[in-house]
Amino acid sequence: MAVILGNVKRYVLRAWPLAPAMLYLTGFQIIVFVYLSVLSLSSSHGDEAFPTLSTFALVVGDVKFREALVNTTLFTIIGTPLELVAGLAFALLIYRSFPLRNAVRGFFMIPLALPALVTAMLIYVLFDYPGGHVNHLLMGNYPPFPMIIGEPVSWRGSHITALTLSLIGKIWRDMPISMLVILAGLNTIDPELFDAAKTMGASLRQRLFRIILPLIIPSVSTVVLLRSVEMWKEFIFPFVLAGRYRFLGTLIDFYYNDTGNSSAAAVVAIVMVVCILLTTFILFRLLDLLKRYSVRG
Amino acid sequence: MDRTVSIASPMAFSKRLLWIAGIALGLLFVLGPVYLLVKYSISDIASINTGGKPVPVWPVHPTFDVYRYLFSDHQFYSVLGNSLFIALLTVLCSMVLGVPAAYVLGRYAIPGRRIFLLAIISVRLFPDIASVIPIVEFFIRIGAHQTYWGVILAHTLLALPYVIFIGMSAFEGVPRELEEQSRVMGANRFQSFRSILLPLAVPGLAAAAIYTFLLSWDEFIFVYFLTFGRQEMFTLTLYLNGLRYAEPQNLLAATSVCLSIPVVVFSMAVQRYMITGISAGSVK
Repeated sequence: MAVILGNVKRYVLRAWPLAPAMLYLTGFQIIVFVYLSVLSLSSSHGDEAFPTLSTFALVVGDVKFREALVNTTLFTIIGTPLELVAGLAFALLIYRSFPLRNAVRGFFMIPLALPALVTAMLIYVLFDYPGGHVNHLLMGNYPPFPMIIGEPVSWRGSHITALTLSLIGKIWRDMPISMLVILAGLNTIDPELFDAAKTMGASLRQRLFRIILPLIIPSVSTVVLLRSVEMWKEFIFPFVLAGRYRFLGTLIDFYYNDTGNSSAAAVVAIVMVVCILLTTFILFRLLDLLKRYSVRG
Repeated sequence: MDRTVSIASPMAFSKRLLWIAGIALGLLFVLGPVYLLVKYSISDIASINTGGKPVPVWPVHPTFDVYRYLFSDHQFYSVLGNSLFIALLTVLCSMVLGVPAAYVLGRYAIPGRRIFLLAIISVRLFPDIASVIPIVEFFIRIGAHQTYWGVILAHTLLALPYVIFIGMSAFEGVPRELEEQSRVMGANRFQSFRSILLPLAVPGLAAAAIYTFLLSWDEFIFVYFLTFGRQEMFTLTLYLNGLRYAEPQNLLAATSVCLSIPVVVFSMAVQRYMITGISAGSVK
């Protein structure tokens, strides 16, 4: 008994400075969990019914919710591989050492240093209708760039182009994160492997698909998992660039601030968390299969 | 391990050209939009409202008029003050709570350490847009909604995991022998923390403080929901968001530049620690 008490005393003496931060974080996590549960199970019709699934039924039946779910799913499905490819391309460009490599790496990191809201505003200005730079560029007004479109495009005015703008902003800003993670993976590969493959006559494509990609699968998995979560969570880019074409994040804003329906907003928040958990679980299994396949291959 | 690019054959030369073109395109992709943002901010009104003609790629008549206008505007100073006040107090709260926690997790192999780390990191994995509604509702109940303290408490919640993770690696980097020797020489735990550990961990902790400042400085979601409808509490990010609907675009660009400069400068300074944060999975 005395030994146990002694151990507990020693533990408390060592760990007490951790307590305020842990209480703060855990306290807020409990608040988030309790309020989300209570709000989502409350009626949004002004009556006192609790617990009720009426708000879930209301949200699921709302066409805005279905559109937001489709938009966010598309955003995640298209954006995650694009971020991976962009990160891989940039990482491969600066993988080998060359003069000014650190400077180039620093420049490639700049999008991450810009606040997301500023990036969204930048895209907003560049893709402005009718007189933004992108419209003039595509209309062939900056020679020698050829004319691709005859009339300016209202980029924020249609579903597909608004989604595209959000994707461009998100990928441009977050590319350095994917680049850094993949670069860390590339740096673990022994260059002698490349030299050996080169000596044995392997082409650039063969080296990329047979050596580099299988060896950086852990980094690729990290990028795919983390970036897909970030895609589901996205709020700022669709908020600024997609306006009325809502995503799950902007639908929370719509329900809460525009209609004052906190229960419906909580329901959408829960759906978002469930989507993230499901995606993570599915990707985890798929990436595990890919790892096994690449080891066998 | 030599990874130097060499020119050994005509084939290698063509690949090198391809690689140089890739680097040039990459730099254009990254720096082009940033250049255009700065260009817009120093463009005169005639270079923006061109009446259907192409907007010039270069600033035809560069001017700092819009910056002069910004820095003579009382509202701009008010939002700047709000941003600074909130960010500095967020740094204070996050450091007071986070540094002792980072010290324990960085120096001691306490039972349950992994669980603590998981609990800390899980805060950042939960979507901000999903946690903001419960927090706003809670703050309405306790009277912290539409108050500076409400925003500071929320930003502290966001920053604390970063402070703990960056602080942990700062404390882990201090040799254990130094602390042990100070204890042998009679210093108690607090004295060796204050006189030995803390001064040596200052660079890492300063990076954590800068990172926290930047996080609060450009945070949008919580400040948007927590100050919704109360204009006198607006921060720089909300001010910028409001400019979206206003002409001319050079004002929007200049405000964006003002918001970005401290972030870009300090981010470059703490890049190493940002990478630590990213590898810890706490990305944003």
